[in-house]
Amino acid sequence: MKKVVIGLNLDFHLKALIGIFASVICMFVSFVKSEYGYMNMISTCMYVLTSDGKSKAYFILLLATVLTIISAVLGVISLVKTTVPGMKIWQYVQGVNVVFWTLLLFAGKSIYEKAGLSGTFLNKNYSFGMWFGLFFAYFTLVMIMRVTQTNVGYIALTILGIIWLFPILWIVLTAFRAEQGYYVGYFIPHGFTLDNFKNLFSNQSVLPFGKWWVNTMIVAVCSCVINTLIILATSYVLSRTRFRGRKGFMNVLMIIGMFPGFMSLIAVYNILKGIGLNQSLMALIVVGAAGAAMGYHVSKGFFDTIPKAVDEAAIIDGASRFQIFTHITLPLSKSIIVYTVLGNFLGAWSDYIFPSMLFGDKQSSYTVAVGLYWLTDFKRIDTYYTQFAAGAVVVAIPIVILFIWLQRFYVEGLSGSVKG
Amino acid sequence: MVQSKASKTKALKGRNFITIFTEGDSFSRLSYLLSGLSNIKNGQVGKGLIFLMIEALYIAFMILSGAHNISKLITLGDSTQGMTFNEALGIYEVSKGDNSMLILLYGVMTLVVSFAFLAVWLFSIFSGEKARELKESGKQPKGLLEDIKSLANENIHFLLLSVPVIGLLVFTVMPLIYMILMAFTNYDQDHQPPGNLFDWVGIKNFFTLLSAGERLSATFWPVLGWTLIWGFAATFTCYFGGMILAMIINSKGIKFKKFWRTIFVITMAIPGFISLRVVSTMLGERGIFNVLLQQWGFTSSALPFLSNVTWARVSVILVNFWIGVPVTMLMVSGILLNIPGELYESARIDGAGPITMFRKITFPYMWFVTTPYLIANLISNFNNFNTIYFLTGGEPLTLDYFKGAGKTDLLVTWLYKLTKDSNDYNLAATIGIIIFVISATFTLISFSRSGAMKNEEGFQ
Repeated sequence: MKKVVIGLNLDFHLKALIGIFASVICMFVSFVKSEYGYMNMISTCMYVLTSDGKSKAYFILLLATVLTIISAVLGVISLVKTTVPGMKIWQYVQGVNVVFWTLLLFAGKSIYEKAGLSGTFLNKNYSFGMWFGLFFAYFTLVMIMRVTQTNVGYIALTILGIIWLFPILWIVLTAFRAEQGYYVGYFIPHGFTLDNFKNLFSNQSVLPFGKWWVNTMIVAVCSCVINTLIILATSYVLSRTRFRGRKGFMNVLMIIGMFPGFMSLIAVYNILKGIGLNQSLMALIVVGAAGAAMGYHVSKGFFDTIPKAVDEAAIIDGASRFQIFTHITLPLSKSIIVYTVLGNFLGAWSDYIFPSMLFGDKQSSYTVAVGLYWLTDFKRIDTYYTQFAAGAVVVAIPIVILFIWLQRFYVEGLSGSVKG
Repeated sequence: MVQSKASKTKALKGRNFITIFTEGDSFSRLSYLLSGLSNIKNGQVGKGLIFLMIEALYIAFMILSGAHNISKLITLGDSTQGMTFNEALGIYEVSKGDNSMLILLYGVMTLVVSFAFLAVWLFSIFSGEKARELKESGKQPKGLLEDIKSLANENIHFLLLSVPVIGLLVFTVMPLIYMILMAFTNYDQDHQPPGNLFDWVGIKNFFTLLSAGERLSATFWPVLGWTLIWGFAATFTCYFGGMILAMIINSKGIKFKKFWRTIFVITMAIPGFISLRVVSTMLGERGIFNVLLQQWGFTSSALPFLSNVTWARVSVILVNFWIGVPVTMLMVSGILLNIPGELYESARIDGAGPITMFRKITFPYMWFVTTPYLIANLISNFNNFNTIYFLTGGEPLTLDYFKGAGKTDLLVTWLYKLTKDSNDYNLAATIGIIIFVISATFTLISFSRSGAMKNEEGFQ
């Protein structure tokens, strides 16, 4: 007779029970290779509990054992009395259990070495009890989630999310780290401080980071205004008007775009020298603006989607093309304007090649990109690593906030470019 | 019927460049020599004078320096800087020689100015002809003021494109021509002006770079090979990774979609040079990854993430995956929502599992919509300077390669090193042209693909 409970998919109930049963069996088979030969999970647990040297992390082993047993009990209960809340509780317990099993992979070394089970422990000393236990822990969780009709994607998203945020967490922690230097043998700092940030902006500092930041801000603001105007004007003309040479102009732009951009920087540098603009921020803005028209594609694609009839109606009403551009097209294109402004603003912050070539060793003119790269040079990395981290955080935070806030426009622009 | 239409268009089109001369009156003919004469005669005095002035300026420029610049272009200078004996003073002094680099730059500048003038000249001839036609048919040609007003209307492209075009000419086209010409010279480390001159060498650079046996070609081909491998690996890992991630986040039953998306978007929002430098320091021999891996007991000695060739290449692709997946994820999210839900509904009724549905519905749809994006992405990955330069700087270095080039160098980063570190501009320019050829090839493929798509009736 088949049981039916509303809200549960009991096709997977049996598999979940097999999974937890297998997990329990794994506790009694060879778990870890120690100096006393192979031991199973229970005896390892007992040994660690009774030994003198306890690692801070020994609770992980303990909890993994206990939670597996609890989970097995809950599994048996769910067999006797299948209810939605019962299943949910089992799912959460198994979820926590999986977390501890996974942590065991990272904490094993310190637990067993402190307890004196093994002189130098490596994860390859884990025996099949561990590997199968880990596998069945996940397997059981997946099956329980299938039963409760929860999306299994959560497991993948959690793991991926941790991997994705790991480097970011590291750099944030380093920025607040009290101990200086590049090499530290631990992840979480022993002391926290704000000094790295203070040093970055203090007047006594050797690093003119404050100046770099202001330089970059000036360039970013100027070029995002000028470049946006140029890009919008170019794409409006190319999208909404028809004139002789339009196709030719677009083809020329495409061909120019296929050459690696910085190939001609040395010539640009000489031209700038000729007009007396080298080693100045003005040069960055001028050169950026000069090449801005090349990025017309996305906004042209957007303008193409505005119906022609709107323009025609305005022409009949006596509007000039320029009035159509400023009074009709632009107000209709808020998202593409935000996209262009954002893109150009961010571009100025990450531009490295040209400023590095332009400024050489004139540090006072550096932008943050050049300056921060200079800091991570192998000669300076030990002295300045924490300050580099602080600088990275200072630069990244406003941009990340801006980006997340305006994400919608970015997505619209991005998918606009795909449709075109 | 067809014929009459053709002759009608011909009549409408009027005279072409040659017939304006052969059939025109003496003023039309003279305006070939003195721009704007025809305009002045036919009532557009202001416009005509402007054309005349431009011509006068151009001629003055050519007499003063332009002709000299062009003539020098042939030899790229012949007097080397050196010590000459000054008999009057009885001492040796430095004599100022030619500077090949400046000669080439000025020569290119003069050429660009000449082409710009040629365009104005052609424009003036047609403009004069138009004025004559209007006058002959009894209408009054537009005055200068009306012409200026038309800039805000039917001639808006002149108004709005003037700044971008001038900018492009000065800072993109001119330098580009200069660099392309440089590929045909011997402007390398041993020929640095002003101390030395460099000269035209024809296509010798291409031969040394491409022909087997030379040390340079022994560097070029492996670097090209790795560039191609990298391009495909980087593009497709991110493409599929991003697609799968987007499908997980957008699947039914995942709550807080925005929260999950934001987690991944953070890596994308951080400026690339920061996240890449950070990860690069983390991957070092004493970096945090090695510290933790040893503490966690995964390895007993430091792993050569960036110092062993194979490890470094895999690391670079993985880090690029970390950065690139969120970009694809964001882009694909929008497209996923556009796939008609009925397709999945009917597939489910027919008993298709999630993998079959991906293979038969999601993937073909995506592939269809995103092919042009994918090819653009491929090209930009071939030229992905940032990831390589900030992560490994092209290292690990090897003795097998031409100076400076390393095992993870792409063509672009090698080009950069040749320009910045070793001043071998001729080789850099040659590589730039080769990169152009590669990009152009893939763009043409992309165009033929999208041409084929236009013929299909959308996704079936």
